Amino acid sequence: MVTRVLAVVVSALLWSAPAWADKDPISGTVKAVDTNARTVTLESTTKGKTRQVVVHLKPGAKIVKFARSSEPGKTGFVEQTLGLADLKPGWIVSAETQHEGDKEVADVVKVVLER
Amino acid sequence: MTTRGWWLSAIGAVAVAFGLWVATPRSSQADVTGEPHEDDKAGHAHVPAPVEYADAHMPPGVWTDPAMIARGKEIYAIKCAVCHGDTGDGKGPAGMVLPLKPPDLRDKAGIAEMRDNYWFWRISEGGLVDPFKSKGSAMPAWKDDLSVQDRWAVIAYQHTFSGHQGPHVPWEHPEMVLVGRDIYEMACVSCHGAEGKGDGSVGATLSPRRAPQPRDFTTSDFKFRSTPSGQLPTSGDLLRTITEGVRGSGGPLTFGLSGHRIMPSFRQMPIEQRLELIEYVKSLNPRFWERTEVKIVPIPQPPPVTPERLARGKQLYADAECLACHGDTGRGDGKSAPELKDSLKLPIVATDLRRPARFKNGSRPEDIYRTLVTGFAGTPMPSYADSLEPDQTWDLVYYVLSLSGDPGRAAGASGRGSAR
Repeated sequence: MVTRVLAVVVSALLWSAPAWADKDPISGTVKAVDTNARTVTLESTTKGKTRQVVVHLKPGAKIVKFARSSEPGKTGFVEQTLGLADLKPGWIVSAETQHEGDKEVADVVKVVLER
Repeated sequence: MTTRGWWLSAIGAVAVAFGLWVATPRSSQADVTGEPHEDDKAGHAHVPAPVEYADAHMPPGVWTDPAMIARGKEIYAIKCAVCHGDTGDGKGPAGMVLPLKPPDLRDKAGIAEMRDNYWFWRISEGGLVDPFKSKGSAMPAWKDDLSVQDRWAVIAYQHTFSGHQGPHVPWEHPEMVLVGRDIYEMACVSCHGAEGKGDGSVGATLSPRRAPQPRDFTTSDFKFRSTPSGQLPTSGDLLRTITEGVRGSGGPLTFGLSGHRIMPSFRQMPIEQRLELIEYVKSLNPRFWERTEVKIVPIPQPPPVTPERLARGKQLYADAECLACHGDTGRGDGKSAPELKDSLKLPIVATDLRRPARFKNGSRPEDIYRTLVTGFAGTPMPSYADSLEPDQTWDLVYYVLSLSGDPGRAAGASGRGSAR
């Protein structure tokens, strides 16, 4: 009995392990883009504190923006993929980041506003 | 099963529940009562617009103007729908990925509480200002991209999502001024009356059968303004009056009131509450929504006081017939003083200019300048905006201050603080 219960506890903890990686959405204004280091520096405010966050892009990470469909009869938004060099300071973006060591890493950056 | 077995099973169940909770994405956890939204009512995000935006009211006709709504729809599709969604549900593709979700503009009750000046402020400044900035709002500021008219057009279109057909004004949606109404009922109703007509039970006893009486908010006669003669005050003017109170020459029940105020100062009331109160007071008079432009009389920088300026001011005091009411020495005993009446035909006392601390509209040089160029609506005190040049007005301001016999007054000693 003890063994079975322990097995359940361990498997529950293992199952939840990926979530411990603390995945958080973050949004902010692009302050800088480093195409060599594959990083985007965002100025973001949460809980009353404004900070600059360096987001490291995973290999193969996508940067997307949303544009109106050009297909006849379709007026909704479609995703368009951008290169890192296309991101410009001043744009507002959102990214779902994870802590990896002392880094914030993301595999998708979504453009909210280009300006 | 043994007791030990039950305990172990219970621990196992708790562990599974904990695992499920942790494994559930954060956004779902936040969604128990709705994800955090830009205009989350639980977070009281519908804060009053700051005073700089408080007079931004859409003329009622625009809410239902098909041309403006069509213009707003065009702009919305390009600038807003990516976050707010084509149907206004807050589920545009870019909005869905934001930590702070856009509001659902179809929420009839939520929209009904939202005032037009708040709406205009939000679109103008976006998430660059608090409290939205602190919450992490990604809403862009549109004031540099969209003209005032375009911002109103977008608002008129967004308003259609709520399903409400009429103008979005307090007399259609009393809920948008409920907080202010509650404050009014606690702090103001005894003097200004339940309908804001200045007929509260206590008001008349402060100054029995003579002026000043509590303001009737439903008319256009507002004394303390920075706007030209005959116009309604700005929200900033109302804030200044609420903050400073109104000093008076006294009445039986004003003895002991701080600074002989016939209306108390509400300086201690939090600024948000004073702004809510102002929104309610304005809701008593639809003319605040009907004006298309809010003009403010400019007050130039005060020049230095010189003996020549004081001498010119003395001459102007006579030429402009100030002495007819206020008397040679400013005591308020001019030859016309006994006959003075206000618009309610009540006897009114000419202010004793030797006592700046009791000036109703403040005793700083700029306060007196404002009084001279705006006049006091509903009283014999006229506006000199058309008869005195700015420099002459300053001459008169300094001469009036010199009547107190306190040289520091004329040099610009402040009798009033700021409104905030």
